[in-house]
Amino acid sequence: MSEIVVSSRVRLARNYEDLPFRNKITKEQSEECVRRTLEALRPLPQPYTFLPLKGMEANEKKALVEAHLISPDLMEHEETAAALIRDDEKISVLMNEEDHLRIQGFTLGENLNDAAECAFSIDDALQEQLSFAFDPQWGYLTACPTNAGTGLRASVMLHLPMLTAQKQMGKVNQIAAKLGLTLRGIYGEGSEAQGNLYQLSNQVTLGKTEKEIIDAVAATARQMAEMERIYRHKAEDKDAVAFEDQLFRSYGLLTNARRMPIKEFMAHWSNLRLGAALGKLPVSLKTCDALLTAAQPAHVQKAAGTALNDKDLDAYRSELIRNALV
Amino acid sequence: MLCEECGKNQAEVLMTTVVNGQSATRHLCRECLKKYQAGDLQALLAAILSTMAGKLQETDEETPDIICPKCGETYAEFQKTGMLGCAECYQAFRKELAPVITRVQGRSQHAGRRPPVSEEEQARQTKMEELRSLMEAAVAEENFEEAARLRDELRAMTPAREAKA
Repeated sequence: MSEIVVSSRVRLARNYEDLPFRNKITKEQSEECVRRTLEALRPLPQPYTFLPLKGMEANEKKALVEAHLISPDLMEHEETAAALIRDDEKISVLMNEEDHLRIQGFTLGENLNDAAECAFSIDDALQEQLSFAFDPQWGYLTACPTNAGTGLRASVMLHLPMLTAQKQMGKVNQIAAKLGLTLRGIYGEGSEAQGNLYQLSNQVTLGKTEKEIIDAVAATARQMAEMERIYRHKAEDKDAVAFEDQLFRSYGLLTNARRMPIKEFMAHWSNLRLGAALGKLPVSLKTCDALLTAAQPAHVQKAAGTALNDKDLDAYRSELIRNALV
Repeated sequence: MLCEECGKNQAEVLMTTVVNGQSATRHLCRECLKKYQAGDLQALLAAILSTMAGKLQETDEETPDIICPKCGETYAEFQKTGMLGCAECYQAFRKELAPVITRVQGRSQHAGRRPPVSEEEQARQTKMEELRSLMEAAVAEENFEEAARLRDELRAMTPAREAKA
C-alpha cells in the first residue's frame, strides 16, 4: 500500500467548555488555553517540543507548514498560536487555531488507525482533567458547525500519477464525492496537483462514529490505490520502454541538474516515486518521501542557513537532491 | 462583477442553490465554483446561510436578532461568518441551527466518543433513573400527587442544557 499511500493523518477539533471560540476570545483567554493544555499534558512520557508562533522566524514557520506539523491557518493567529510537537513528529497539538485545539496524529504509509490512536491518546489525557464543549445531540462543539460531532478529519496522502496522466481524476473525484469524501491536490493551486499528490479526507463529522469515518476513508483509499495500480500495469504493458524512459529521464535530471525550480522538481519527483514504487529506479520510497519535504522552499532555505534569492535557491535545491540520490 | 465568494476574481458563472425549496443565486469565479463542486462543507454552509438570510429578510424584516447571552454573538454575525462565538451559542441559536446542521452534515445526532462521565455525574444519572421509575409507578397507581412531587424533583436535578435539548 505504501507504494501509493504516502501518509495518514487524523485530527480532532476540540474546544474548552468555558472559553469563547476564536471570534470572541481575548488574548488572556488564548493564553489560558495554552497554559492549561501544557499543564494537563506535562506528565506525557515522551519528549515534546513547545513552539509558540510569536517571534518565530517566518521561514521557520513555513518549514513547519511544509512538514505538515502546523496548519497554514495557525500562522494567521501567530500572536497567540502555539504548537506542541512530539519529537518523533507523530503527534502535534495546535493551540488557538480555528478551534482551541487541533490534535493531530500522523503515520507514514496507510495506517489511519495508528494515527487515530495517537490523537485519541492526547484527547484522553486532556479529558481526564479538563472539560471540552460537548452537546448530547451535536457532540464536540466547534467554532464552525461543519466540524461538530466527532470533530474528526481522517486523511490520507495518495500518489496517483497514472490516474492523473490517463485523465481518470474526474471519475476518482466522483467516487469520493458519492461517499461524502473529498479529494484535493496537496501542493500547487487550482486544478493542477503538483507531484500528482492528493489528499483524500472525510467531509461529514457528525452522526458517524470515529471508526466508521476512518474505515470509509481507508476503504476508499484502498480502492483508489487499486485503480492506480491497474493503470500502472496498463501503461507498462502498452509500451514498457516508453514507460521506463519517462522514469529514467526524470531520474537523470534530478541527479544531474544544477538548478532545479520547485515546480519542475515536483513533476520529476512524481516519476522518481513511481520508479521507486515499481523497483525500477535505484532509490527507496523512504528517500523519495524524505526528499519531498526536504526540497520544499522553506526547507531548502533553512538548510542553506543564509537567505538565498530564487536562482541560488534552485541551485542549492539541486545540490540537496543530488546528495540525497547519488 | 467580482466573485461573491472570494471578492478577488472576476465572476464567470452563476450558481443556483436550492435549500428547502428556496433558491438563491450567486456569481462566482471558476476557482470558487470548484470548491462548491468538490463538496466543500464550509462552502455549502455559506450557501445555506446566505439563502436562509435572504429568506428571512423577504418574509419578516422585523425579525429581531438572537443574541448569545454568554459571548454576545448575534445570529446575524454567524450568518455572515459561519463561525459561532462560544459553546453557549449552540444553545442560544439551537432552533435556527438545527436545520442548518442537519442540512450540512446530513445527520442530526452525534455518534462516537464522549467525554468521560465523572463519579458525581454517574451518581446523578442513577438517582434520576430511580426517580423516573418511581414516578412511573406512582402514575400507574394513580397517585398523581406523589407523581407530581417526583416530577418536580426530577426537573430540579436536570441541568439546564439537557432540559432545553
